[in-house]
Amino acid sequence: MKFVSKAGYGVTGAALAIMFLFPLLWSGWASLRTSSGFGLENYDRLFTSDNGIRPHHIVNSLTVSLLTVGGTLLVATLGGYAFGRFRFPGRDALFLLTLAILMVPYATILIALYVLLGWFGLQDSLIGLSLVLIMFQLPFSLFMMRNSFEAVPRELEESAQVDGCNSFSALLRIMLPAVRPGLITVGLFAFLASWNEFFAPLILLNSTDKFTTTLAVVNMRTASHGSIDYAALEAGVVFMAVPCLLLFAFMQRSYVRGFTSGALKG
Amino acid sequence: MRSRRQLVATVAAVLLTAALGACTDKEATGGDSTAGVDDGAALTLWTRAATESVSKAYADAYNAKHKNKVTVTAYPNEEYPAKLASAAGAKALPDLFATDVVFAPQYASQGLWADITAGFAASGVKDKVSPGHVRAGTWEGKTYAVPHTVDMSVMLYNKDLYTKAGLDPEKPPTTMKEFAEHARKIDKLGGDVNGTYFGGNCGGCVEFTFWPSVWAAGGDVLDDKGANAKIDSKEMADVFALYRALYDEKVAAPASKDEAGPTWLGALQSGKIGIAPGPSVWLGLIEEKGVKMGVAPITGMDGGESTFIGGDSIGIGATSTKQAQAWDFLNWTMSEEAQVEVIAKNKGVPIRTDLASNKYSSADPRIVTINSLVAKGKTPYAKNFNASFNDPQSPWLQTVRGALFGDAAKSLTDGNSAISKSLQQS
Amino acid sequence: MPTTVQRSSQRPLPAWPAAEAARRKGGRARRRSLVGAAYAAPTAVMVGLFFVAPLLLVVWMSVNRWPLLGAPTFNLPDNYAHIADNQLVGSAVWFTLKYTVLMTVLLFSLAFGLALLVQNRRRGVGFLRTAFFLPMAVGFASASLLFLGLLSDEIGPVSDALRAIGLVDGYVSWTSGSSASALGSTMVLVLWRFAGFNMLIMLTGLQAIPVEVYEAARIDGASRWQTFRRVTLPLMRPTIALVLTLMITGSVLAFDQFWILTRGGPDNSTTSLVMVIYREAFIKLDLGSAAAISVALLAVLVVVNIVQLGVLRRRSS
Repeated sequence: MKFVSKAGYGVTGAALAIMFLFPLLWSGWASLRTSSGFGLENYDRLFTSDNGIRPHHIVNSLTVSLLTVGGTLLVATLGGYAFGRFRFPGRDALFLLTLAILMVPYATILIALYVLLGWFGLQDSLIGLSLVLIMFQLPFSLFMMRNSFEAVPRELEESAQVDGCNSFSALLRIMLPAVRPGLITVGLFAFLASWNEFFAPLILLNSTDKFTTTLAVVNMRTASHGSIDYAALEAGVVFMAVPCLLLFAFMQRSYVRGFTSGALKG
Repeated sequence: MRSRRQLVATVAAVLLTAALGACTDKEATGGDSTAGVDDGAALTLWTRAATESVSKAYADAYNAKHKNKVTVTAYPNEEYPAKLASAAGAKALPDLFATDVVFAPQYASQGLWADITAGFAASGVKDKVSPGHVRAGTWEGKTYAVPHTVDMSVMLYNKDLYTKAGLDPEKPPTTMKEFAEHARKIDKLGGDVNGTYFGGNCGGCVEFTFWPSVWAAGGDVLDDKGANAKIDSKEMADVFALYRALYDEKVAAPASKDEAGPTWLGALQSGKIGIAPGPSVWLGLIEEKGVKMGVAPITGMDGGESTFIGGDSIGIGATSTKQAQAWDFLNWTMSEEAQVEVIAKNKGVPIRTDLASNKYSSADPRIVTINSLVAKGKTPYAKNFNASFNDPQSPWLQTVRGALFGDAAKSLTDGNSAISKSLQQS
Repeated sequence: MPTTVQRSSQRPLPAWPAAEAARRKGGRARRRSLVGAAYAAPTAVMVGLFFVAPLLLVVWMSVNRWPLLGAPTFNLPDNYAHIADNQLVGSAVWFTLKYTVLMTVLLFSLAFGLALLVQNRRRGVGFLRTAFFLPMAVGFASASLLFLGLLSDEIGPVSDALRAIGLVDGYVSWTSGSSASALGSTMVLVLWRFAGFNMLIMLTGLQAIPVEVYEAARIDGASRWQTFRRVTLPLMRPTIALVLTLMITGSVLAFDQFWILTRGGPDNSTTSLVMVIYREAFIKLDLGSAAAISVALLAVLVVVNIVQLGVLRRRSS
């Protein structure tokens, strides 16, 4: 049903697109603007100033992101399969409990998590941080994967069973390809969240050599006691956003399909 | 069921750990080995971003000549308290950590630093370091922190603008009333030049720059124990009224109202502000931008001089297992060698009152002026200082905003009770 | 919530004794449920270890006076009773409520509007969808920093543009000039960042409506508005429920945007509840009090979500 006329669509669409794209475009423009026109000066400051980004920051961010994506995919796929296809005692309770994670703010459980990680010997570690980030991703990922699995027609699974597959090989061979859009969406969001995460790494990491890129960029906000280097800050924002934008561009079709494959009908 | 049993076990374990951990709080006091131990230990030092360069300078100089090695980690200023609180809550404080001196009473009262009374007494410099800092790090008679850096508030004025306005750049104001006159004269230069500037949305900035005028006039803002506020005194009201008038006359830059701190230095570096109070460490930073600056003490309404002795205090983390080694570093930072070669050489203010004039300071007479102020200033003391004064949600900031931009009389009266209540919270 | 799980076709049982047959069927079902539980085990471990355990600790902390170092002392109901005394909590509750209502209404309308705009295959619709969704690529902390620069006087174009048009005179601070502009700045930030995400969720709901239903309405002569009200909205109910839950919870728990953009100002006019919790824990170092406020907040959220889901589900069934 077309609710919007053609002309309305064209004009409104264009105006909205400009408004939505403007901040990012401005950010890129501002990051290239120097006192003498345009150039890469700000990026230079971003990487070389005292509080700037260093290679180890990027390595740490990548490590945490990969661990989070891998862990989230693993837990959410197995869990989504369980919730979407099996019935077992405590299923609904566990699912609701997972959703409840959305209702608790960071500030509340961060100290308790810090204590917990210390007890496991995982304090000040990228692995410990990743585990916490995986937990925070669970509500969205599990919801997504459960609905993705539910949307797979039973016949596919049954035909596999007839062929003698057990549930695990059915999962690997039949279900995973079927829920690929969901997997890509979950992976993408897990990457976005972990790559951009600020508060958790701040509290859970202690050593400078473990710091992530986001911490370094936010540090620039209060750098040089008393004046914000806005241009370098915008360069930092752009630098952080570029990998995400690239991923978005490449995975666009997949995650849109992930959303529209009935996975988020509520 | 598997998951539920696991859950119960884990919870029990966590609670047990928390309870057990709570019992093993204070380690043996670092005061046993009063001389410190240098045996090649790796020590961690935390500091806030604003102090990073100084802490690193100390660490580098120490590491070059000692077996122990100190590694410095700096955290964003605003989030540093959260970082410390989390580490403390997890009983995982670093070996050393520095904080803003006004937060020291709170951390000392919470036992976040180890007791260094004995070591400090035996160090020989007990009466030779900034007394305000020492007091801030003392709780119930025991010493927990020593001075790390000193940062004082002074009047910074633009010598070029002074000349342009027909004022003598070698004769800074000796009273606040004179300061206002000078600011008005400079503002008349017009264009985008403004007479003065202040941090109207920043509790810490205002206390740092306005309180010395109260002290210079013989008044006070807090009682001795830090339990009652006196910010509704005549002296404080006069100071607020003076700055308020300057703002209303547009002599103070309009941006002052929203200045929350991050762009304060930038405003002074623009070279368009005539005279304004600010941190003494900014002298060099502003001159880097090519602005010729003069320095003068902050005065009272009709005379007198004072300063807010700020900076950082540093102590040994209470949960550290290397307290003797950490003390070795702390002790060294207070030595003449450290204070002259690390601090004074880099134009900083030594924490040692007996080293105020040293071989580096005499090179610049302005440094001599600044250093001499340590004897004339105060470091305010209150256990709940941060929550009452510095925090953006503090009753002090509300009072400041009211006094400068709203109903002044009411803000001061209401604010005083609110601040006192906050100070007394246990 | 409509599920897409279909009943598997019932296979005729072989002609064995009934008990034997029942036992076999029960055995298979039990085995299947064990397998399911096995797949759900990693989730259970993660949730139990990293969520439930800390949460229980927080509940325990809320009934104690909990110093950072040193032993806690039981003090129920002090922490909870003092919440009422805390002036900042009162104004934060009020502000958070106001913010939640405003934000939910605006964000919902925008997301729904965007979804309606791009639901049909038209020229450029893919581009539009991407444009609206792109802000999600920027982390929330980064986005806040972005807006800090965008709205700043130093390098931001907003003040300059408005000055050029003449709408604004002289210096203006959008993030701390007045409570209205501070609130407005943060709301624009959130709208920009989250409209696309919610639009996609709404889109899936819209696209799940079969074309035939619209056809039937058109044949019946329903106008566009009538179709929207009588066909689209009711069928979108589960999607709307999901979106509203996310938005309301997100707004009640808002922190980052206020912390970075406005610092709760000016004059505490944009101080949210989570900021107050943060302050209790990390500035006043009163972990027990922070825990108490958190538990109260969690309870409220649980109740709100249950009520909301219940209301929406009853009307849909």
